Amino acid sequence: MKRFIFLLTLTLTAALTAADNSRPAFVMHWNSDWKVAGALPEKVLLLSLQGLANRNTPQLYIVHPPEFQWEITGPLCSFYERKHGVKFTEIKTAKEALTHFSKSAQGYVIWDPTVPATMNVAFTIAGLDDALVVTTALIPLVEQQGLKLIDDLRGRYTGQTDAQIYTDAVARYWSRCTHDSIMLMGGHVGAVRIPGMADWGVRQKMFFHDLSANPKHAEELALEKKLLAALAPGSIVFGWHSYGKDTEEQHTTLLSGYGLKMEGLHSLPNLSFNCQFSFTPGFKFTNHHHVALDAQLKAESKVYLSFVQSDSIGIGVWTKPGRGQIPFAWQVTMNWAKFSPAALEYFHESATPNDYFIGGLSGPGYMYPNHIPAERFPLLMKEANAMMAVLDEHIMEIMDNSAADGNVGNTDLTKETVDRYYAAFPNVIGFINGYGPARTRDLRDHRPMISYDYYIDPRRPRAEVAADLNELIALNTTRPYFLLVHVRESNDVNSLITITKQLDGPTEVVPVDVFLKLAASQKTYTTRYQDPADPKHFKGYK
Amino acid sequence: MRFSFALFLILPLAAFADSPFTGRWRLDHARSTALDGWSTCDLVITVAGPRVSLQHDMQWHSTQFSATNTVDTTQSVALPNFFRIEQRHMALYPAKGGVTPVRASWIDAGRTLRLEAETPLEISQGQATMRIYSEYRLLEGNTGLLLIELHSSRPQPLVYRFTKVPESK
Repeated sequence: MKRFIFLLTLTLTAALTAADNSRPAFVMHWNSDWKVAGALPEKVLLLSLQGLANRNTPQLYIVHPPEFQWEITGPLCSFYERKHGVKFTEIKTAKEALTHFSKSAQGYVIWDPTVPATMNVAFTIAGLDDALVVTTALIPLVEQQGLKLIDDLRGRYTGQTDAQIYTDAVARYWSRCTHDSIMLMGGHVGAVRIPGMADWGVRQKMFFHDLSANPKHAEELALEKKLLAALAPGSIVFGWHSYGKDTEEQHTTLLSGYGLKMEGLHSLPNLSFNCQFSFTPGFKFTNHHHVALDAQLKAESKVYLSFVQSDSIGIGVWTKPGRGQIPFAWQVTMNWAKFSPAALEYFHESATPNDYFIGGLSGPGYMYPNHIPAERFPLLMKEANAMMAVLDEHIMEIMDNSAADGNVGNTDLTKETVDRYYAAFPNVIGFINGYGPARTRDLRDHRPMISYDYYIDPRRPRAEVAADLNELIALNTTRPYFLLVHVRESNDVNSLITITKQLDGPTEVVPVDVFLKLAASQKTYTTRYQDPADPKHFKGYK
Repeated sequence: MRFSFALFLILPLAAFADSPFTGRWRLDHARSTALDGWSTCDLVITVAGPRVSLQHDMQWHSTQFSATNTVDTTQSVALPNFFRIEQRHMALYPAKGGVTPVRASWIDAGRTLRLEAETPLEISQGQATMRIYSEYRLLEGNTGLLLIELHSSRPQPLVYRFTKVPESK
């Protein structure tokens, strides 16, 4: 009986503690309609509301459908409930959301969907003046809450170019915006736009824009250069480039030249909520290392393969079937340790012994190292080293697509860049380079730098992938052969298992830390850096 | 008489222009081995006497690339910039300064162009040579062209089907 009472007391105490620790919050489940002529205006309103409502406390979280590019919003919601005691109450409509949170706003600003850039100007105003962002049709909804007009962009910019619009916006608002970060709210253009990261920009009072890094748009490029130069050293450019104006390569090249970090995508949701949770008490990242930092392995006469995914673990393969059945490395978006720690904890918690995390991409954010100013490099990589230590990561992944053409072409590092990495990361097992295949390779002090020999396009028939890998094995005749494979985000692990069963010769799939240790033991690959004579798709801005 | 002599000179050229191989051929994606790293592929063939020019007009998104292999059906040629339809997600590159010997011949009563090439490649372990055996087979009706490409390093051939693009287009 005494034991029963004791257990009951323990149970009740635990229940009460949980109740005491519970944090109320609200959740909305969104659909996939981001059409400008459909549900986008309401989502824009709600994103501005989310940014304001979450400014001081995490109150509003959005769950997206499973087919949304960021698949983890649902699992992460459950994680908050389970690990942080968040008790979510569902909100079903925009009106209901406004009823709960309109007090977070001082008024509203009207944007004009026929002048797309006004959405970004309105988001900037939203952050600075606590305004909700509405179209004409949504005015009654916010006025029902007693909100008053703060600004009206209808007509102000009609007929103007984006360069003219943003020049005016810079003159009006830039001085009041944070200079530690900026929101590149580009991405989709035209009939569909997905400004899922807008809540974060509003919360942080960022300047929103979608200026072009394409030299064809000289005025826009000049204005963006001015903005990037005015940011504090080491700042982060959030969002993503405009699919209608320039390329990822052009934009990342541009900001890397200022020593800035890119953090995407434009659709990344809930940062205004996520940033307010730290790791759960007692949590410590423990990677599934397979070798010690100072271990020495000996490669056998066979083909060693290793698989890596680098498109941020929040996208794609993680939730696909088969994860955990073969060794697989995941490049972690390290900056999430700062503004989305729960997401990282969720991934680590659900990792299998075959899931191995590596640092990247190129540094403390997405950057192209061939373009990072030499004087900025050491400080940036010191930051990367510190984050890798927190995340218990022993491998740095590097990507420089500045001269590439999407996922093909020149992704190599100059010797100067390679020298800098070896100097900046004395305690790593090694480095990985590329996105598409690359040919930068080195070995110094038992730390190899290996580039991808193959990139798996998710659309490529599996039989052809197996044939491609077999062809590489046939041509690289020396054993051991170290065949590093980059797995594009939307592949699934089950199909990789099928492919590995079709490979010729003695092959072994090994974790990437083992792979690099083996590659350190017998250098059967050439030393090579970017050759100035190699073709370049994009030759830069000069 | 002078006119007849001129006609005599022109006649062979006209005959070459009449080669059913001559013209622009467009890849039929649905019936071909999947391209990798290319979104479109046109093959422009010109026959001039023993010389056959194989121009590849390739596209990847907005990037356009054109490369021509000109072979001779009477003798082996050494091509410094030999082009093959690469699987671009593989770390295989034309070797820097590499020269590819190519032998070409007409077989099957002139309805198949056979090519044999040995192309030097840069691989992660240094350099390797890929032997490529290709047949360009003209299909019945002369509006379809089948390219079968066998690599010494690949157990199965790459098979590309092309359709002739009418001259007006």
